[in-house]
Amino acid sequence: MSITYLEAIREAQARLLRDDERVFIYGQDVGGTFGGAFKATKGLAKEFPNRVLNTPISEDAIVGTAIGAAIKGMRPIVEMQFADFSSTALNQILNHAGTHYWRTNIPVPITIRLPSGGTKGSGPFHSQSMESIYAHYPGLIVMTPATVEDAYTMLIDAVAIDDPVVYCEHKYLYYHLKADKLPDKGLPTGRARIAREGRDLTIVTYSAMVQESLAVAGELARENLEIEVVDLRTVKPLDTDTVLASVARTGRLLCVGESFPWGGATAEVIARVTSEGFHLLDAAPVRINAKDTPIPYHPNLWSAHRPGAKMIAAKARALLKE
Amino acid sequence: MPQLGESIAEATIVDIKVKPGDEVAVDQEIIDVETNKAVMGVTTPCKGKIEKITAQLKETYPIGSVLGYVEASEADAARFKKQAPPPQTVAEEIPARADQEVKPARQEKVAARDGDGARPGGLPVPATLKGASFVSPRVRARMAELQLTPADLAAITGTGAGNRVTIKDLENFLHKIDSQSVKEASAIRAGVADAMRRSWTRPLSTVGSSVNLDPVLQDRQSRDTKPGPGLYATRALALALAESPTAAAKLIGNRVVQSNSIDVGVAVEAEDGIMVPVIRNAEKTSLADLVKKYQELVDLARKRRISPDMQAGGIATVSNFGTFGVEWGTPIPLPDQTLLLGLGAGKKVPSWDETKKEFVPKTEAQITLSFDHRSIDGGGAARLLKRVIELLEEPSKL
Repeated sequence: MSITYLEAIREAQARLLRDDERVFIYGQDVGGTFGGAFKATKGLAKEFPNRVLNTPISEDAIVGTAIGAAIKGMRPIVEMQFADFSSTALNQILNHAGTHYWRTNIPVPITIRLPSGGTKGSGPFHSQSMESIYAHYPGLIVMTPATVEDAYTMLIDAVAIDDPVVYCEHKYLYYHLKADKLPDKGLPTGRARIAREGRDLTIVTYSAMVQESLAVAGELARENLEIEVVDLRTVKPLDTDTVLASVARTGRLLCVGESFPWGGATAEVIARVTSEGFHLLDAAPVRINAKDTPIPYHPNLWSAHRPGAKMIAAKARALLKE
Repeated sequence: MPQLGESIAEATIVDIKVKPGDEVAVDQEIIDVETNKAVMGVTTPCKGKIEKITAQLKETYPIGSVLGYVEASEADAARFKKQAPPPQTVAEEIPARADQEVKPARQEKVAARDGDGARPGGLPVPATLKGASFVSPRVRARMAELQLTPADLAAITGTGAGNRVTIKDLENFLHKIDSQSVKEASAIRAGVADAMRRSWTRPLSTVGSSVNLDPVLQDRQSRDTKPGPGLYATRALALALAESPTAAAKLIGNRVVQSNSIDVGVAVEAEDGIMVPVIRNAEKTSLADLVKKYQELVDLARKRRISPDMQAGGIATVSNFGTFGVEWGTPIPLPDQTLLLGLGAGKKVPSWDETKKEFVPKTEAQITLSFDHRSIDGGGAARLLKRVIELLEEPSKL
């Protein structure tokens, strides 16, 4: 059996709907026979009647409704068609879902699925990575699964968690990434994973950039350079301990993220390592992000805008020479 | 490139004595390489025919790089394989890399080496690149943990980028030390080491001259307390400084700091180190009183009863290293002082006497003045030293 990242997300939702009657899926075109823009809910409406619900085209209203249902004891999964569109629901996500428990002691266990990241030719409104925005605000958990296995178990964990979870699934991995079978359980939420062990340089990354970084680590291994790849899994909470332990082994840190360069998850990792682990560093940490411009349509421009294996390899080699 | 010595990381090709197709014997010198220590020959690993030489003249290659290939019979090659030295290279499998991040100025040199192999634990980087004196936060933290200073790292040849000392180099060095006899340094040894290291951060210089000691030795006979030449020098320095106190001023930032009193230290050897008790207002202390004070201080120093207060605040120090029988030296001023006067051993020398038109015997000693060149220049130091010599040659005034 071979299962893709996208199929893992569908399987997780099927299992959730099957195991917990409080769970329902709420989003644009997720129900009926359509099954969502990327078919992440394909077939679920038929299997679970009245629990996979189409919504009006208003992200603000979708999240607001889901929050209300969660307050009343339900476990809604909201699907945004694209992560980019969730900006329309920022007020509901940040000001209501994020603060509700702290104001009232009543949790808001919603899961918001964000089809994130760039694919060729998708342009500025269908390619963005929003994890750094949501991670900035208190009260939210932000997941960024990089493997088929994590896509499956982390979505199940997301629904089980009482806090609102922003689940950033990467569109580039939907069909590219395959696994033989799905595990029953993964690492605990908030724990990073050593995706590859190495002694010369630590790459801290998440989501699709884990796959790019692993490719680079494989390439550099042929030159006797051992790259350790840390997959953050959740950018919030951020597993500083695992990152520091890795930097203690290697002395060098390269952070890779697909989102825009100003601030964000990669900057947060470097801020923590330099303030808590300055004495571990053999060279100044390096950060790779997308360019500080809207995401271009043209495939060639997009390739230059997005960090990729070639750029990561070049920066890693330069950092190893520092 | 074979391992050419313990601390050698790379070598430069200076001569290639063979060409492709040449038959070679085992252990035949085929390439001359130059390290920072010597020119050495690289020998063939086994008998055979030179297939190609990939090394370029005047290029520098790290240990373990491929310099060329010898075509050999299977039997010979098998024999060589068993004897292969540890730093095995996998360089031949590495494709040349197109490293876009390398700055153009470096590109040519780096590219020239790229195909030749990465050395274990670091990338080949020309020694002239930045970083040789760079100490990373990680190495710095380890040094702080072990209470090491940069001076302690002087013995380590760095193998990191730009020859910097890596954490591995440091640990290897510490490991090697452990196989030797190691004991804790005494507090006084550690104290002297610290003071000298701090002092050595300054631009220090020394001027010297000879001084006729006969007047001092004669004068000494006439005094009950029999002061030693070192105390005459101390007294002479105190009086010379009283005449021109700016000579002992210290420079701190952009400010010239001058002490209110002429306090002069005297170096006293104690077990496992040196102590420098200070004689306060030495210019107002008669030679007779100096003898008494000095004897008290020496007794205390030998018993290690000199308190930090008694060693603080001097503006200059006298070291009478002549008592060890040596004639001259370049002593290092204390870190909080600008001047150190050193007196060597006296010795009888023939001296030309203009009036008698003949050589006459004279007891001559070398006297040196070390100084912090930030505060005082050669001329100022020379004038002060000359004045000390004048005073020593008229000891009745001391």
